[in-house]
Amino acid sequence: MITAHIMPLTILLPLVGAYLILLVGSKHRSFARNFGLLTTGITFAMVCYITYLVSNQGKMAYYLGGWAPPLGIELRADPITAFLLLTFAGVSFFVLLFAYDILPGEINGKVITRYYALYLVLLGSLLGIVLSNDFFNIYVFLEISSIAAAALVAVNGDKLAMEASIKYLVMSTLGSGTVLMGIAGLYMVTGYLSLDFLAGALPQAYASHPLTVLMTLGMLTVGIAVKAALFPLHVWLPDAHGSAPTSSSAILSGLVVKVYIAVLLKLLYRVFPLDFLAALPLQGSLLVMATLGIFIGSIMAIRQRDIKKMLAYSTVAQIGYVFLGIGLFSEKAMLGAVYHVFSHAVMKSMLFLSAGLLIKYSGKRTIADLSGLGRVYPIPMIAFSVGALSMVGVPPLAGFMSKWYLGLGALEANQLLFLLVLLLSSLLNGFYYMPIVIGGFFKKETVEIRQEKIPLGAQISLLVLIAATFFFGLFSNIPISFLTPTVQGIFSAFGGGI
Amino acid sequence: MDNLFYAMIFIIFLTGFWIMLRQSNLIKKIIGMNIMESAIFLFLVAMGYVKEGSAPIATEANPGLAYVNPLPSALVLTGIVVSVSVTAFALGLTVRLYKHYGTMDVDEITRMRSEEL
Repeated sequence: MITAHIMPLTILLPLVGAYLILLVGSKHRSFARNFGLLTTGITFAMVCYITYLVSNQGKMAYYLGGWAPPLGIELRADPITAFLLLTFAGVSFFVLLFAYDILPGEINGKVITRYYALYLVLLGSLLGIVLSNDFFNIYVFLEISSIAAAALVAVNGDKLAMEASIKYLVMSTLGSGTVLMGIAGLYMVTGYLSLDFLAGALPQAYASHPLTVLMTLGMLTVGIAVKAALFPLHVWLPDAHGSAPTSSSAILSGLVVKVYIAVLLKLLYRVFPLDFLAALPLQGSLLVMATLGIFIGSIMAIRQRDIKKMLAYSTVAQIGYVFLGIGLFSEKAMLGAVYHVFSHAVMKSMLFLSAGLLIKYSGKRTIADLSGLGRVYPIPMIAFSVGALSMVGVPPLAGFMSKWYLGLGALEANQLLFLLVLLLSSLLNGFYYMPIVIGGFFKKETVEIRQEKIPLGAQISLLVLIAATFFFGLFSNIPISFLTPTVQGIFSAFGGGI
Repeated sequence: MDNLFYAMIFIIFLTGFWIMLRQSNLIKKIIGMNIMESAIFLFLVAMGYVKEGSAPIATEANPGLAYVNPLPSALVLTGIVVSVSVTAFALGLTVRLYKHYGTMDVDEITRMRSEEL
């Protein structure tokens, strides 16, 4: 019974959990964090089970209410979506484990219950976006995720965070409005909302209304790019991710930005055939924006003195890599993009979490004041260093593997220029990450450091993330071989490079 | 005439878009957001319209009935719910910001914040 309905249950569980937390948690303070952690844990286990089923069956489909598309809504899991689900559920579980003892010290005690409820709503919507195969359903989940994400920034009620939150809300509503306009346009020319049926009806619609189809594609891409913070539409990101509470920053930077990329991926490989896209100017503009994003994000990160702002700008640069991988239109680059979504989610949440701890113990947010902390608090500083090295792309780590595949993809697509982009930007990454790592271990302390015991949950969470960074760098063949057949399927119809 | 309708919708959409981007007053931004969303809802309703179509209640008595496509209208209902909740949340944030800064102008808030630092 559970196996048959596992996909809708996985989306429902966090949503129902959020409701229960609000219902019971207002009376019992500690209920929220225990129950929230439990719910996320069970969701993670269910996602693992979905991945297991997908690796056996190759593909899973579920019709909501028993109505087959085009009438009903379909949930669909294939290896790429299963991989993304695993990333989202796993990272959000470990972020919540980290927050178990840290969060009460960071935000107002009254709002903790609401924080957990929002967190679970956000998780449910992320899983929904990834699983759904119906365009309007995706839009609804997109809106749920943008409200929940903006609320997670503002939750503490301090004025900087609220200002960032409203900026974020306005920009992401702009993005989702544009996406909805695109969806409406596609519905107008094809009469379908299900991604598969859209794909089937699109060639004919393009023959009769070429301009409308192009405009909708443009609107969808722009809308998604705003929400995913592709340069130059990233202006809202640094403030929002920089001023949120630690665990919010980790999940916003690590996961929420990525889910829109999941939508773009779905759009590109389930709806629009690649040879159709290759004939459009889309590829060129994606590549230019991605390259500019990589460089300008990195340069802005170098200029920051606030560590969380720096990490936020680094996210702008890293999103550039993912768009680069998608824009190269080659098999290896696509693998690299999907792998980078995963490895960046792990690295960036680890960086934000360890930076949050370091800020907590030093009481300062500026980079210069983090000197010497590594000797007093080795675990967070080691986690930060591993994350930083992985960002730069040092070999045995996960970040290296995704860059490796991006590089192979650039070779495959015969775009050697982008190999240079990858190398140069790794150098730039080194410029802003390495001083912190070196200073953290070898320089003298500049501020008085509080001596405290790091909570067990936070230690376990950081250690697991460190282990994951090593594991998925050393054994990248496991996920890659899991993903390869699907990615090959996308490109086999297309006939290799361009 | 049909195309005129779509052209008007597009103008409304761009108006809302422009207000959201260019106005610095938060209330005006939120109004712009609603104008933009109204344009999208109009678009959806307009595309489902069938000339001289009736309500989509098909009975055995009138099998060949021409009816208005009900799906876009259902989508609009969902969209309105989403838009109301986003508006409510944005207005709530605006009230809180006004309490802190005494202004609803984003540029002014940014200026005050940079002076504080």
